[in-house]
Amino acid sequence: MLRWTSTTVALLAAALAGGSAGTLVGVMPALAQNTIKLELWSRQDPSGPLRAGNVVKAAERLNKELAAAGSGKRVEIAVRESPAPGFDDDALQLLKVFGIGHGPDMFIAAHEWICAFQTDGLVLKLDDYIAKYPQYFGTIFPSLWESTKCPDGIYGIPQDAEARMFFYDKKLLRTAGYDDAFIEAMPKRTLSGDLTMDELIDIAKQAMDKTKAQYGILHRPNKGPDYIMVFQSYGNGFVDPKTGHLLLERDKLAAAFGWFERGVKEGVIPANNTAMEFDALRKQFYAGNAVFWMYGIWDLGTYAFPTYGLPSDEAGFFADWGWIAAPAPKKGGAPGSLTHPIIYAVAARAADPDLAVRLLGHASAADLNTDHAVTTTHLGIQPEQLEDPRYAKAWPLARATELLKITRFLPNNPQFGDLNGIIFRALQGVETGRLSANEAADFVIDEATASLKDVVVK
Amino acid sequence: MAATNELTIERRGHTRSAARRRANFVIFLGPAIVLTVLFFVIPVLIDIAVSFTDLSRSLRITKFTTEQYQRIFQGDRRLPQVIGLTFIYVFGTLAIFNVSFGLVLALATTSINKAAGGFFRGVWLLPRMSPSVLYILLWLWAINPSEVGLLNQVLMHAFGLSKPLDLMTAAPIALIIIANGFIGASLGMIIFTAAIRGIPEHLFHAARVDGAGTLAQIRFITLPALRWPISFVTIYQTLSLLVSFEYILLLTKGGPFYDTTVYALYVYRRAFESGQYGYGAALALFLIVIGVAVALLGWRFFDMERLLQRPRIEVL
Repeated sequence: MLRWTSTTVALLAAALAGGSAGTLVGVMPALAQNTIKLELWSRQDPSGPLRAGNVVKAAERLNKELAAAGSGKRVEIAVRESPAPGFDDDALQLLKVFGIGHGPDMFIAAHEWICAFQTDGLVLKLDDYIAKYPQYFGTIFPSLWESTKCPDGIYGIPQDAEARMFFYDKKLLRTAGYDDAFIEAMPKRTLSGDLTMDELIDIAKQAMDKTKAQYGILHRPNKGPDYIMVFQSYGNGFVDPKTGHLLLERDKLAAAFGWFERGVKEGVIPANNTAMEFDALRKQFYAGNAVFWMYGIWDLGTYAFPTYGLPSDEAGFFADWGWIAAPAPKKGGAPGSLTHPIIYAVAARAADPDLAVRLLGHASAADLNTDHAVTTTHLGIQPEQLEDPRYAKAWPLARATELLKITRFLPNNPQFGDLNGIIFRALQGVETGRLSANEAADFVIDEATASLKDVVVK
Repeated sequence: MAATNELTIERRGHTRSAARRRANFVIFLGPAIVLTVLFFVIPVLIDIAVSFTDLSRSLRITKFTTEQYQRIFQGDRRLPQVIGLTFIYVFGTLAIFNVSFGLVLALATTSINKAAGGFFRGVWLLPRMSPSVLYILLWLWAINPSEVGLLNQVLMHAFGLSKPLDLMTAAPIALIIIANGFIGASLGMIIFTAAIRGIPEHLFHAARVDGAGTLAQIRFITLPALRWPISFVTIYQTLSLLVSFEYILLLTKGGPFYDTTVYALYVYRRAFESGQYGYGAALALFLIVIGVAVALLGWRFFDMERLLQRPRIEVL
């Protein structure tokens, strides 16, 4: 079910970057003396087509660099796209492909999966390469490297970052009787720990009662990182700092599930949220039928502006829409956000690891990464990007950067992807009334201890 | 000399007939045996082997172990619910649709004129003829939980329902039984129709002369003649329902929570959604054992051996 679409990606890359299809000439040299074919595994993802596209463009730069250095080597890129619906499914698929010996030379993955590849010896350790090529990697934000680390070193190259938040519809809040002062103060109140998770439900409830909005709070319908932000707000770190093993704390899990339980009980979160289609959920929010939408900054560039016609200028957007971080569980507590870097990685058995790393280095160049950042509203990876006028113009990026101060990562534990699957099933159980919050916490602990290794339960 | 020749000829004849028998065996049974070995025996052996390993998401075996079986018997709290649901699903679909409704359709469409009967049978065959993805897509549109869903449009506009109905959350088990039943009913309908057509007309004429009404004719003539087809449909559909899950996967993905995760789907979810292939293989082995046991029990219970000996309908 995989499609070879290097040409498609190359064309897309060229078009979006304002270049031309002439880039293909550099990508596939006709008469290179020693052409090394490198295969890149990438998920078909409308929210980031340039993750692969930039690697295809980078081949042109690398080939020029090789030619200038008098090397006879050239690289040729093939992009292998998987149709997986999310990064978790994609990682599982790729692990199987590696398992039967057909893996690519490089791949794009969600950062929390990297140690699953590292545990099985499928991914190249990059510390030496990063030290060897400071010209490519020297200025990438140090905090982002944290997301690519396994216990013994660095195994990935940060590709982007983002911020997750609760978007809200100011029109509905105004109609519900909230004054502008209250509405405009919500982001600051959240950051100061004054606005709590429970108040979020109360606001959504009041807005639903006093307007025609059918939904209070909507979230993604499938397994993914966003709802983990709520669990982190309630203190779930999921990793035992002493041992590095997965950590499950019954009370904190139950508290987080309790928030969703209360949301459904109050009629604010629909019981069938996990049965709805992604696009249907999005549409409900952007069409003014839902008060809050728990998602991420890239949704603006990917869907809100182009598909749902929200004003793409800063003033126009903030006139009727806004966002807040994930509130604190109690007054005075710590709010949070979640960033979920996507990373480039090189396979342990890559045809030419050194060239693959250099290629990904070129793909991480500030201008190429900015192409990706501004077209899909993802955050950049290097300080140089902030000086790019295109980046400066992309106001959602600058505004969302505020949330990086309080952002958290998913743990880089090789089993976290599996644990998240269990948490999602329990969440579905709570929202559909099959489990109480306490039962959901027990379910997660039972399932995790039965199917995962080294789980610490408190 | 003549006697020797005759003996030679006879021997040759024997040799020929033995060769012929072997050839017939290979020609007629060979393909079935090859297919059974390739698609049943070998997969079962592989499944048994995998179930004693720790094969997981990167398809690597690091040790041979019995821990998958220990988990089935000691650690898996979902299993009782899954087994109970499987029983409800198989029994419900069979009892309501695959046998009963199939029978009603066959009786109804054979009691009206031929053209109309053929038309209605054709309509009921449509779900079976549609590709499964298309069929389920239609279901998803029909039961869409918002007011745009077909069912909700009817209920809200024609019957004045105030809030849209969400069948997927409110009645998921009924939903999978109905969605599967609409497909399953057609097989029973076709087989029962053929059987009803095979009943000699004169029996009905004689019964009418004796004063039997429609219900009495069904009870005393039609149903006894259908015993064998009903037995066959029951066994065949039980096995089919036990192991197939594609419509459920497409319609509800086994949810909400585990509400519609039947055993076969549970095996799939464990193996392919969680990457626990060793555990999935151990679970699947029980499905094979249950399937074989149900087939043998059904064979015995319905006395299928007698069915296969000679035609039953004609002797009535």
